[in-house]
Amino acid sequence: MSTSTSSNSESLREPAPAPVPETRFSAQAHAELDEIAGHYPERKAACLPALWIAQREYGGSLTSAAIQETANALGLSYAEVEGVATFYTMYNTVPRGRHHLEVCTCLSCAVNGAYDIVHKLEHELGIGIGETTPDGEFTLSEAECLDFCGAATIMQVGDKYFGNLTTENIMGLIDELRASESYTPAKLADSIVKILQPGSSITGGGSYTPESLELPAGPML
Amino acid sequence: MAILNLLFATRNVPGIENIDVAEAHGIYKGVRKAVTMERQAVIDEIKASGLRGRGGAGFPTWIKWNGLPKNYTAPHYVICNADEGEPGTYKDRELMLKQAHTLVEGMIIAGYATYSKVGYIYIRGEYVEPAWQVRKAIDQAYKAGYLGKNILGVDGFDFDLHIHMGAGSYECGEESALMSSLMGERGNPRLKFPHAPLPTVEGVWKSPTLINNVETYCAAGWIIANGSENYAKLGTERSKGTKIISVSGHIRRPANYEVEMGTPLLDLITEAGGVIGGGLKAVVPGGSSVQIVPADRLGPINLDYESCGANGTLLGSGGFMVFNDRTDIVLLMKRTSEFYAHESCGKCTPCREGTRWLFKILDRITSGGGRDGDIELLLNVCSNIDGRSYCGLGDAAAWPIVGAIKAFRPEFEYWIKYKKSPVGASALPPSPEVVNPLLLQAAAAHG
Ligand SMILES: Cc1cc2nc3c(=O)[nH]c(=O)nc-3n(C[C@H](O)[C@H](O)[C@H](O)COP(=O)(O)O)c2cc1C
Ligand code: SF4
Ligand code: FES
Repeated sequence: MSTSTSSNSESLREPAPAPVPETRFSAQAHAELDEIAGHYPERKAACLPALWIAQREYGGSLTSAAIQETANALGLSYAEVEGVATFYTMYNTVPRGRHHLEVCTCLSCAVNGAYDIVHKLEHELGIGIGETTPDGEFTLSEAECLDFCGAATIMQVGDKYFGNLTTENIMGLIDELRASESYTPAKLADSIVKILQPGSSITGGGSYTPESLELPAGPML
Repeated sequence: MAILNLLFATRNVPGIENIDVAEAHGIYKGVRKAVTMERQAVIDEIKASGLRGRGGAGFPTWIKWNGLPKNYTAPHYVICNADEGEPGTYKDRELMLKQAHTLVEGMIIAGYATYSKVGYIYIRGEYVEPAWQVRKAIDQAYKAGYLGKNILGVDGFDFDLHIHMGAGSYECGEESALMSSLMGERGNPRLKFPHAPLPTVEGVWKSPTLINNVETYCAAGWIIANGSENYAKLGTERSKGTKIISVSGHIRRPANYEVEMGTPLLDLITEAGGVIGGGLKAVVPGGSSVQIVPADRLGPINLDYESCGANGTLLGSGGFMVFNDRTDIVLLMKRTSEFYAHESCGKCTPCREGTRWLFKILDRITSGGGRDGDIELLLNVCSNIDGRSYCGLGDAAAWPIVGAIKAFRPEFEYWIKYKKSPVGASALPPSPEVVNPLLLQAAAAHG
């Protein structure tokens, strides 16, 4: 593993400091949350959607202030919401780079060269698993099966899957990602919140147009 | 070769994600037909079809549908398990991407049959693209009057369908953990029958709840539209209809293949273009949770529940992984155990501790630190997980290891004795030193 100045280990988390109150949820975010909470008989059930909204509103990661604001919006305790946020791997309780490279190294990808790709990325980007490049562009992670094994090796980046990756084509993709301006760390959460809203495919809702969710690359499509 | 595209009949029709095209190809015919039938008659059709759950366990679908109270007195919920997380499986992904209207149709029919007014599709958080297609299908179905109030003019038949996105957790595919997650909690499972009522009696929010897999709902819709007799005439005595098999690994044409139940396993490998990068070594037919089968024992296996079960493995979710003879089975099991250790929800001790033990031991063996007695130790840990865990994840972590030791014990012994991969030493050009034990014969893949 190569070394890096930024070490945001995924497994070791500092105990959260008492959150400094912040209110970053926009009026639109509150309206979205109320709409989505109405899908369930209890407001508490909107905890996962609310965390997606928070992850978007807080620019891609759930700070303790974000968790506190989510808890307030749902009428839950901080501990309850933090417990949920830390259970699921896709909530970013630590900040990540603009592009979160999640390379699947599970079985079918592993036998199709996934580790070669991980090593290539480590080498080329100069970071290890769980680390972020100093310019904040890329965070590298290993993912468990992303369940698109037929197009192994798969990598998830934000709200997109890329398939059929090899050590030959991976760096071309990295260059494309570096050049793409539309990506932000909040993009994944933004897309998901959009999906949760009825009618969004017709109105375009949220801040993304339907067209911005293209189909993934891959041989089976 | 029995490729039979029932659910996938329209998967390559251009524009099938749009409701007008979908309707022109017969999707939603099932809903139109269902609402002219008595609700019990819909359930009886599912019963007559012999459909069994496609999420992995193969439970008879009609028994669940029949288990909800037959009135609108209290709320009922219909849930679709679209958390597809089993390594090797990607059928639900393609169904949602291309046949989202088929899924929506199946769920509306289930809502009608079970007196439910609300449905949720629980989609894993990573599946943004498939979820987007489902969103489109739902929005269009509302506009066309298949969702909402008094559907198709049937007085009192209301059904709303919502999407719930997961956030990264394999365990949330386990149905009771899924219910926890849907209710806004951590994805820990709940007590199950017989220690607690069945979900059909007391599921989410203590209300009667139906949970089925994506493929199960799609098949149910097909059955209502096309008649149970046309489904039941396919397959074997106890496995009716078709099953979508996701083929991956060392195979020339990886893809989802919808096959008639009972299709010989080896035929599927041929259909998928054969093994690449070497000869066939083993197949995991039903996702990482089932037992691996060595090549010489594949001959008698057919792709149905009975035949897989009788041959020491399971059809599971249809995650069909093919491995060539350059694959190191011990490394494969190390990676498998890593998956379960990572995904264990931590609620019960046998699984939380046991899965980590399995990984640690296998990691040690494949790092050259194997000791005499390690195989017995692995089996011992497995036997302390299997049957003693709170939910199926623990069992699923133990089965593949036990299966691999049964089928490939000499490879484990070789690693322990010589501290290196038996694969490099036998069939391959000699590679005496294992440079990086993580490298699972990657170079061999594209032969
Ligand atoms: C650890 C674990 C993970 C599971 N993951 C899934 C899954 O991703 N998708 C699924 O449909 N069923 C999954 N199941 C099976 C479900 O618990 C349940 O049996 C299924 O959703 C029922 O639907 P069916 O009767 O239509 O198969 C899983 C089970 C276990 C124990
Ligand atoms: S078996 Fe594993 S996943 Fe299931 S409850 Fe126990 S710790 Fe959680
Ligand atoms: S093993 Fe990588 S997507 Fe399934």
